[in-house]
Amino acid sequence: MTANSTTNKAPGASRAGGTFACPPRRRPPAPSARRSGWTPWLYLLPALVLLGGLLVYPICQLGLISFLEYTQAQVSGGEPTTFQGLGNYAALFGDSQFRQVLLTTVVFAAACVLATLLVGCALAVLLTRVRALPRLVLMLAALGAWATPAITGSTVWVFLFDPDFGPVNRALGLGDFSWTYGRYSAFALVLLEVLWCSFPFVMVTVYAGIRAIPTEVLEAAALDGASQWQIWRSVMAPMLRPILVVVTIQSIIWDFKVFTQIYVMTSGGGIAGQNLVLNVYAYQKAFASSEYGLGSAIGVVMLVILLAVTLVHLRLVQRQGEDL
Amino acid sequence: MSARTMLRIRRPGRTAAEAAALLIAAAVAFPLYWMVLSALKPAGEIQSTEPRPWTASPSLDSFRRVFEQNDFGRYFLNSLLVAGTVVVASALVAFLAATAVTRFRFRFRTTLLIMFLVAQMVPVEALTIPLFFLMRDFGQLNTLGSLILPHLAFSLPFAIWMLRGFVKAVPEALEEAAYIDGASRTRFLWQILFPLVLPGLVATSVFSFISTWNDFLFAKSFIISDTSRSTLPMALLVFFKPDENDWGGIMAASTVMTIPVLVFFVLVQRRLVSGLGGAVKD
Amino acid sequence: MKLSARIAAPAAALVLAGLTATGCAPQTSDTGAKRDEKTGTLRVWLFQEVGNKPKEQVVDAAVADFEKAHKGAKVEIEYIPVDTRAQRIEAAFNDPKSAPDLIEYGNTDTAGYVRDGGLADVSAEFAAWDEAEETDPAAEQSVTVGGKVYGAPLFVGVRALYYRTDVFEELGIGAPKTQAELISTARKIHKKKPDLYGLAVGGAYTYGAMPFIWAAGGELADENSGTYKAAVNSAEARKGIEAYTSLFGDDNCPAAKCAAMGGNATVTAFASGKAAMAIGGDFSHAAVEAGPVKGKYAVVPLPGVAEGSVAPAFAGGNNIGVLKSSSHRTLAVDLMKSLAGKQTQAKMFDAMGFLPTYTDVRAAAAKKEPFVEPFVKTLGAGAKSVPASPGWGRIDSSLILPTMFQEIVSGRKDVATASDDAAKKMDAAFADAG
Repeated sequence: MTANSTTNKAPGASRAGGTFACPPRRRPPAPSARRSGWTPWLYLLPALVLLGGLLVYPICQLGLISFLEYTQAQVSGGEPTTFQGLGNYAALFGDSQFRQVLLTTVVFAAACVLATLLVGCALAVLLTRVRALPRLVLMLAALGAWATPAITGSTVWVFLFDPDFGPVNRALGLGDFSWTYGRYSAFALVLLEVLWCSFPFVMVTVYAGIRAIPTEVLEAAALDGASQWQIWRSVMAPMLRPILVVVTIQSIIWDFKVFTQIYVMTSGGGIAGQNLVLNVYAYQKAFASSEYGLGSAIGVVMLVILLAVTLVHLRLVQRQGEDL
Repeated sequence: MSARTMLRIRRPGRTAAEAAALLIAAAVAFPLYWMVLSALKPAGEIQSTEPRPWTASPSLDSFRRVFEQNDFGRYFLNSLLVAGTVVVASALVAFLAATAVTRFRFRFRTTLLIMFLVAQMVPVEALTIPLFFLMRDFGQLNTLGSLILPHLAFSLPFAIWMLRGFVKAVPEALEEAAYIDGASRTRFLWQILFPLVLPGLVATSVFSFISTWNDFLFAKSFIISDTSRSTLPMALLVFFKPDENDWGGIMAASTVMTIPVLVFFVLVQRRLVSGLGGAVKD
Repeated sequence: MKLSARIAAPAAALVLAGLTATGCAPQTSDTGAKRDEKTGTLRVWLFQEVGNKPKEQVVDAAVADFEKAHKGAKVEIEYIPVDTRAQRIEAAFNDPKSAPDLIEYGNTDTAGYVRDGGLADVSAEFAAWDEAEETDPAAEQSVTVGGKVYGAPLFVGVRALYYRTDVFEELGIGAPKTQAELISTARKIHKKKPDLYGLAVGGAYTYGAMPFIWAAGGELADENSGTYKAAVNSAEARKGIEAYTSLFGDDNCPAAKCAAMGGNATVTAFASGKAAMAIGGDFSHAAVEAGPVKGKYAVVPLPGVAEGSVAPAFAGGNNIGVLKSSSHRTLAVDLMKSLAGKQTQAKMFDAMGFLPTYTDVRAAAAKKEPFVEPFVKTLGAGAKSVPASPGWGRIDSSLILPTMFQEIVSGRKDVATASDDAAKKMDAAFADAG
């Protein structure tokens, strides 16, 4: 499997354009790689300038601000900026609300990732079992959900579940049950929306991956009388491993950072802040309460967590022996 | 095609599977249907406690309200301008960078690649605070530039990774031949490599387009007082009023906001699916 | 390929960059203006009220006059949501270049905005402005910090009890005279008419809840020579909190609906005929008049604990101030005078019911419109305000009190725990504010 497993960190990125065609074995440097001197750096220059200025530099600022006492008064120069050391972090981890938000974020993201992967993979398998027309219909519907901007998606879902005017409560006979009142029902609603707009990516990618599996393998398994689950478990899943890694990592990253959905659907974090997740919490701290230092510290915590996920990803890539 | 061959095997469950597929498709499409429907319903029907899944008298009133009252056309153009600039600029910059890392060998190449990979994971939202101060220090707040620049930067790592595969796929023999024919490096780059990678660029652009078009946080934070620079997501929030949400207006605005992305998706759909599935070799 | 070694370097670089480089500290913004241009565009932010149209008309008329009188000056008005004003306004303080010239702000925001260096000191202009002489001293106090004036009062906001006369008549009950009666009346109505909230209350409606705390003898915070200490967890305050939160429930205002409501939502519920009573302000008058309950309601002061007493109301109201960063100071001050002047205030009263801040204009208004009588009476009975600490802005924008009420009504915490937690957070905010 190693030869073909061009793990793509970008969804499908590197598999695009036929890495299967030229298996990335230790191949000699490209011909143009004759001592090229400054040319590659010239080509890289615009990208490096942009990334340096708008990514690396802000990250360094973020780190710095997280060590400062930095509130509105300091920003407007009313009071001197003071170095806090780990003060903000101590305050953060000493705050039971933050610890709870952190836990909530992890659990919520995990639930979203799990649901997205399950639904996405199941539908990808389903796509291989139906004829062209139903497949096209499902594909188009999924693309529609995918294309919907998060903010409109959130708004529409809130409207669908509106206690007074929404069709869902009417259809389910729930009366004027308010979905956003209870902590869990509010999270369930947000989860549904997140699932709705993120399963298509998983479905399309996994489906494309399944199509790449040699037909004979699947036919053989089917002829042996293997059930769909068995085929998935012992034939497809192992072969799709690289793709599954990619969609999982990508989903973790996306779901961990959920902002718009929570912000719009629970009006900024729900009743008594019950639906806060890290991203929204950081935003509220920084921009509503003007505690930029604390907000930055939350940002750093998020960054560190996502970096850990990235490192895991890189390890997996490494194990699959991909040629960078 | 592999999948199609599979289907020739008789499967008793196929009808059930197809029914399930259609049902799921209907469920998935329902929110979008409801959005468009609500946008078309006349005022009295939207805020009805007996919502019906159809309307007898569709009206364009909500759309009219959207376009007339709130300078919506301008927000729409702003959004298009921001997203368009980001898509084009990021495609060009990423193309150059992807070429550099795939067709050259140089020191720090792998380190750079890993940097790009790591950069992809950075939660953009966490950087809102420093970016706010950065934009302020450069006097960029309240301008469309404050939206274009960060999105451009954030879309790059992903685009470079994605394009890498496409650039790699162009046979090296082609490049050799071009040089033998006396083409300069620049000529090869723009007249030979660029057209060949163009399909890949299109697939890549979907992602930068969506993330920019959908942006809500930067627009909310960086466009402070100049409403003529607002983008669509902010315009949508205008319809949330303290007294009563104008659901008709919200749904019409949402529809208007979703359509360009849908069009974009449909246009690049085939490339996207094959781009994602990528190297399906038959 | 030795990946792990190469992974470590950039990852560490990304993180360490932030720790080592001190060169990238953001600068502090210099909010002081350098110029005072006499032409150009003035940006104004006003609050978006429930039923904002009449307000817009009055403002438009004032602006038209202003533009006629000042050649080359153009005014752009934006109506911003009250609930999220803090984010917008503080962001504006951070970037003088994109900040507006003139803003409307709540009188509870004054201390915080002044400390943040956002508002311009207009003491001299205010003193020289002849109309300002009749300004009610309490209103003047609300724009004054440390003896300096930072704006002009725009209107006085005070809340009283709106109730539906038709419903009360039908059920044969009279306006409640004590707080206990208020609560039992609310329940009685909801029982008889389940479609109506007895008294519309909101978990995020802090100003509607404060009178309950004050009526029970509690305080939000105690002042001791300039420093504040939270008092929401005192026995008296808790009694008030208990009384207010007892109104949430299936027997009056179901928590599922009402916990998330703010002041505007409760007024909307009343105005649209979904509530038999609501705690609304003089400024809510226009919105209620515009709804289906027009002509079917009356207003009385919110009753206190003892019969015949009035629960101390929150002395609210908005001001309008010039930003320190404005590059059109003279023009902006002129526009401030025009928007907060007697003529505009009188018109604003007619349009929106906003109580004027000038004693003479208010007296004239009361003569003309009997509906203001209960509000004037409430003011006369002694209205109270929030702690005049710069820390209040943060207490307000970080939703400490709404969170407390919501935690109680949703059953997550009991009154004692929730009020202790809120007090702790308030004390932190006071301490930070110095």
